[in-house]
Amino acid sequence: MNKIGKLLEELHDAETGLADEYRGVAERQSTDHGTHYPCHTLAAQCDQHAERIRAWAQRFGKDISAPKRSDALASAAGSLRHKASETFARRPESGLLLLRDLRQLYLKAEAVNIHWIMLAQVAQAVRDQELLEDVSGLHQQTLTQIKWLKTRVKDASPQILVVTD
Amino acid sequence: MADRIADVWGERTPFAAGERWPQRVDQFLTVPAERVERWVPSACVLCSNGCGMDVAVADGRIVGVRGRAADRVNHGRLGPKGLFGWQANNSRERLTQPLVRVGAELRPTDWETAMEVIVARSKEVLAEHGPLATAFYTSGQLFAEEYYAQTLIARGGIGTPHLDGNTRLCTATAEWALVESFGSDGNPGSYTDIDLCDTLFLVGHNAAETQTVLWSRMLDRLRGPDRPRVVVIDPRQTPTAREADVHLAIRPGTNVAVLNAILGELITHDWIDRAFVDAHTTGFPELAQVVADYPPQRAAEVCAVPAEAIREAARIIGTGSRLVSTVLQGVYQSHQATAAAVQVNNVNLLRGMIGRPGCTVFQMNGQPTAENTRETGANGALPGFRNWQNDVHVRELADAWNIDASRIPHWAPPTHAMEIFRHCEDGSIRFLWVTGTNPAVSLPELHRIRAIYGQDRLFLVVSDAFPTETTALADVVLPAAMWGEKTGCYTNADRTVHLSEQAVDPPGQARSDFEILLEYARRMEFTDNDGQPLVNWTCPEEAWRDFTELTRGRPCDQSALTYDKLRDSSGVQWPCTEQAPGGTERLYTNHDFFTAPDICEDYGHDLVTGAQNEADEYRAHDPDGRAVIKAAHYLPPHEPVDDEYPLRLTTGRKVYHWHTRTKTARAPQLQAAAPDAWAELHPDDAAQLGIADGDLVRVRSRRGAIEVPAVLRGHRPGVVFVPFHYGYFDQADPDRHNRAANELTRTEWDPVSKQPIYKVTAVRVQKIADAAVGGRPVVITEPGLSATRDDGTAGGTARGTAGGTARGTAGGTARGAS
Ligand code: SF4
Repeated sequence: MNKIGKLLEELHDAETGLADEYRGVAERQSTDHGTHYPCHTLAAQCDQHAERIRAWAQRFGKDISAPKRSDALASAAGSLRHKASETFARRPESGLLLLRDLRQLYLKAEAVNIHWIMLAQVAQAVRDQELLEDVSGLHQQTLTQIKWLKTRVKDASPQILVVTD
Repeated sequence: MADRIADVWGERTPFAAGERWPQRVDQFLTVPAERVERWVPSACVLCSNGCGMDVAVADGRIVGVRGRAADRVNHGRLGPKGLFGWQANNSRERLTQPLVRVGAELRPTDWETAMEVIVARSKEVLAEHGPLATAFYTSGQLFAEEYYAQTLIARGGIGTPHLDGNTRLCTATAEWALVESFGSDGNPGSYTDIDLCDTLFLVGHNAAETQTVLWSRMLDRLRGPDRPRVVVIDPRQTPTAREADVHLAIRPGTNVAVLNAILGELITHDWIDRAFVDAHTTGFPELAQVVADYPPQRAAEVCAVPAEAIREAARIIGTGSRLVSTVLQGVYQSHQATAAAVQVNNVNLLRGMIGRPGCTVFQMNGQPTAENTRETGANGALPGFRNWQNDVHVRELADAWNIDASRIPHWAPPTHAMEIFRHCEDGSIRFLWVTGTNPAVSLPELHRIRAIYGQDRLFLVVSDAFPTETTALADVVLPAAMWGEKTGCYTNADRTVHLSEQAVDPPGQARSDFEILLEYARRMEFTDNDGQPLVNWTCPEEAWRDFTELTRGRPCDQSALTYDKLRDSSGVQWPCTEQAPGGTERLYTNHDFFTAPDICEDYGHDLVTGAQNEADEYRAHDPDGRAVIKAAHYLPPHEPVDDEYPLRLTTGRKVYHWHTRTKTARAPQLQAAAPDAWAELHPDDAAQLGIADGDLVRVRSRRGAIEVPAVLRGHRPGVVFVPFHYGYFDQADPDRHNRAANELTRTEWDPVSKQPIYKVTAVRVQKIADAAVGGRPVVITEPGLSATRDDGTAGGTARGTAGGTARGTAGGTARGAS
């Protein structure tokens, strides 16, 4: 059984799942600009990660196909959500939903993180220096994503949870 | 005196490196000189240069100004805004009475009533919704004492993190670029470095229009016997760019790519000071790795300029021996602002050119007193450049104010302006006090801003000297005294502090913001731990004394800088301490930076996301006094151009106006020179769209549209420029929102500095009327700028880029790439 290939596949799924989540949150939080734009940036970063993972998987004899996303569909759905979220910008519950979104992202990013840790261990054990260097670069970016999510949660939660209506 | 509208920079007084910049005293009086009763010392408050001036007074009115010959900043010179702008003080349109909203109307009232309404509402919001429902949005044009009063009231009195300045729109990136690289805010260099340099590198800094007297200084070097070489990065063909040896007219939003390529060239050719980099910086290997991905050819494609021009720019920067780099809005208000500004710091660090005569980087300021919002804690950081994550720093503050540290919000950074408005939008901020600024014209995406300010649930107090687009939306309007009508200090972009004395009384019932804030604090009954009034000053000098005491031991130490010392001086540069009583010309002369964990103003951020570093990890990688080199990859802007919106809009400032023209529109000469908005188009783009010079055009983005006359200019193809000064207060129908550039812009900000992005908006342009029959006549008169365009004395058409385009506008050859 190709266990390393399997690990890579799981990591790949975690990254593409996280990318989708970032995009979903970006759309839902289109009026929370401090969340919306960084989420787009980080979705693109996850896409790049996934691409690299697919390339390694090849090396380990595993074929992972790129996720299919219909851009036209996504953007139609996106603009609908966008409208909805503009009206929503004025409602107090919007803050709680933001925190829920950030929490969800955090959990998914941690799932990616733990897979990177496993992969880094693998790279060391199979003495693949090149893979190890690549992995640590990308892992570092995931850790920075997690750090950003914490920053965003810390900045946003007092206003959302403390101010009384 | 020459016509200083036509002759913006005045007569040249060339000088060589190391010589003293010759004096030239500029003066403008509206009465015969013998009628002047007294001259009152002050400094100009119409840009961050802070030129020293004396104010002429006759019959209780300001009647003119004169540059101070001995002043270290301007050596007597004043630019058009400085010469003419003061006339706004005498305008009949000043606010002279408080106004209170009754239904749809703002009705005149007295101070007692207005303050009672404000305080009652403020107390009510505090009681019902807690301190986080109150916010203050201040200016970049008040005085240090006023900002410090606001800080004490907001952070110590109310206990809200929501206090920021409109400096967030103009200089937040300067602040954060300095913090990220050097550990603390504060420009390292001195304007005297311009007198000594042999290379000038201006990045997104159109000094010729934004700081005309500083540009005079540069021009006098450029016309002198040992002309410094000049590299300019700017998408536009500005008067500054016309003086360049190499002008990289990059595609808007690509600063990081071009700077990375230049850094890469410096490393490849070993034009770096290895010993300096090893001893005084950290992070070089990561930078080398990142910039290796940006060979000139790749950057050329991203930025749409010739690779050869990038190489030549790097060669000039890499082979000079005294480099002054400067940065302004072309970086700060553009995509990847902090990441790009930091790369300019990196250029000087790699060259080892900082903290020595003729060698520095200037992260310029926009507004005249922007430095003071930053020092006093009215935006971004805590007073005295204190670190909100450092408990010792917070305790120092609490001790000075005699309150519990827990009363000072420090669970997160002070809230930035754009987030404050977001909280107004979501309804969690109910009381907002705006002082001396006009967000209804200056913020991005104006329809959103008007909707936010127009909400019933938000109580909006605005103090200003004039009725503005923002006062029109207020619940209470307070008439404020202007510069010249009050006393206080402010600090320019090279850390020079001036004291501006009150010259005349404010008109009608207008009061200084300082007095207004003290009155508010008294009525709010803020007390310290001993039950004494928290704000217990009676005059600005007492506030200054407290503030400067609070800077003791901090990078911006001004503990020895008293009003008396300032009265005797021609501007003093901080730090000013017992050890350095005359001030300090340069920071970092021993190459010891403020990056030690106990000293630094912030632990820094990830440049891509803005993720905040925390104390433990910072200590783990303790830079210990070394400068921090931070690398960044180029990322494409979030709003790409496409078939529907194929052009890039960039907005900006023009030479005759200041901010939203509340002052400069009331100076007849400035108003006549540029009375109305316009859009600058490249002739090639215009030809494709069938637009001729002067035609009325509609510029539309995904958010709105404006209608303005077109001016065909030689910027790079694909770029549209609209000045941001023009709102609606002087329009026949102020409710027709078809003129302000910010109808078009987008709500996005830099992840680190939180400065809004104004320079990368996708737009389309369409002709709506011929010039001959068009709605509005073209009324742009810019003789000063045209004059220099034809002035071949030093610019010399022979100088071009290695890319081979005449006069070095490299971008011009790259048509069609965007
Ligand atoms: S350069 Fe700036 S400070 Fe100096 S006179 Fe002009 S506007 Fe005023």
